[in-house]
Amino acid sequence: MSLLGKHILVVGASSGMGRVFSRMISEEGGTLSVLARNEERLNATLSELSGEGHTKVVCDITNEDQVKEAVGQMSPLDGVVFCAGISEYVPVKFVSTEKIEKIFQTNYFGHISVLRMLLKKKLLNKGASLVFISSLSSVVGVPGTLMYASSKAAINSAVKVLASELAPQQMRVNAICPGIVKTEMLSATNLSEEQFAEQEKNYPLGLGTPEDVGYAVLYHLSDGSRWLTGNIMILDGGNSLQ
Amino acid sequence: MDIKGFIENFIEQFEDEPTCEITAESVFRDIDGWSSIVALSVMSMIDDEYDVQLNASEMRQANTIQELFDIVSAKQ
Repeated sequence: MSLLGKHILVVGASSGMGRVFSRMISEEGGTLSVLARNEERLNATLSELSGEGHTKVVCDITNEDQVKEAVGQMSPLDGVVFCAGISEYVPVKFVSTEKIEKIFQTNYFGHISVLRMLLKKKLLNKGASLVFISSLSSVVGVPGTLMYASSKAAINSAVKVLASELAPQQMRVNAICPGIVKTEMLSATNLSEEQFAEQEKNYPLGLGTPEDVGYAVLYHLSDGSRWLTGNIMILDGGNSLQ
Repeated sequence: MDIKGFIENFIEQFEDEPTCEITAESVFRDIDGWSSIVALSVMSMIDDEYDVQLNASEMRQANTIQELFDIVSAKQ
């Protein structure tokens, strides 16, 4: 699954999954533009990359002016991984419009704004692959995930529409829906270790690692998946079998 | 913030009001009806009512309602 000669943008590259994806893409020969808000953490991602010629892009995707400026400085891309994300577990009775907006700003609006700008500036090469990191929670019902799951379900719908809109330009658009993956975002949430231990019982192959998702990302970015578009991949260690 | 009001807000998060008496010394994980969704509700209530965001490890440090109250007070 060589990515040699491909220029890949990772949106949300500074932490959790994005950092691991960036490293794995560089190991397959891809040249990266890594984008995130936090420059210090972005530098840490950059220092882990193999090969030369990678670029960092400091940008808050919830700020349209920053997105416009950041995209304006980019060179044409062969693939984009959209994996910036925030999460908060709140029972429905404590949900507020303000809280929903905060989650959607990053998980949905921010990504769409980056993509829109890339298309307007014609920065996506023919055959480009766009990969959205969605979530298993968008297709099942996990208590407390209303805000996060809805934002990811919006991504799933966007993927279908984008896939058909962009197919004439030979671009491919897909989503990956991981089950529970052990990341920093996970340990920063308000769910307890006991709750995760309880969840782990429902994963025949155990909880996932960022690398498990990373291999799926590599496949989606490579020419090996040239016939795949509009697909929502469930990647959950067997969780949804039961 | 006072412990009496805190206990009332705490009890409100249970779908069915607990049948046993709830005091500051009650070990909350042993209360009938305690579940992960009640735990999330308690954390959201603390955020809304006391403007304190607890993470899972802070929540884990507390066993009794009094201990939880003390953690919240310290963070206010």
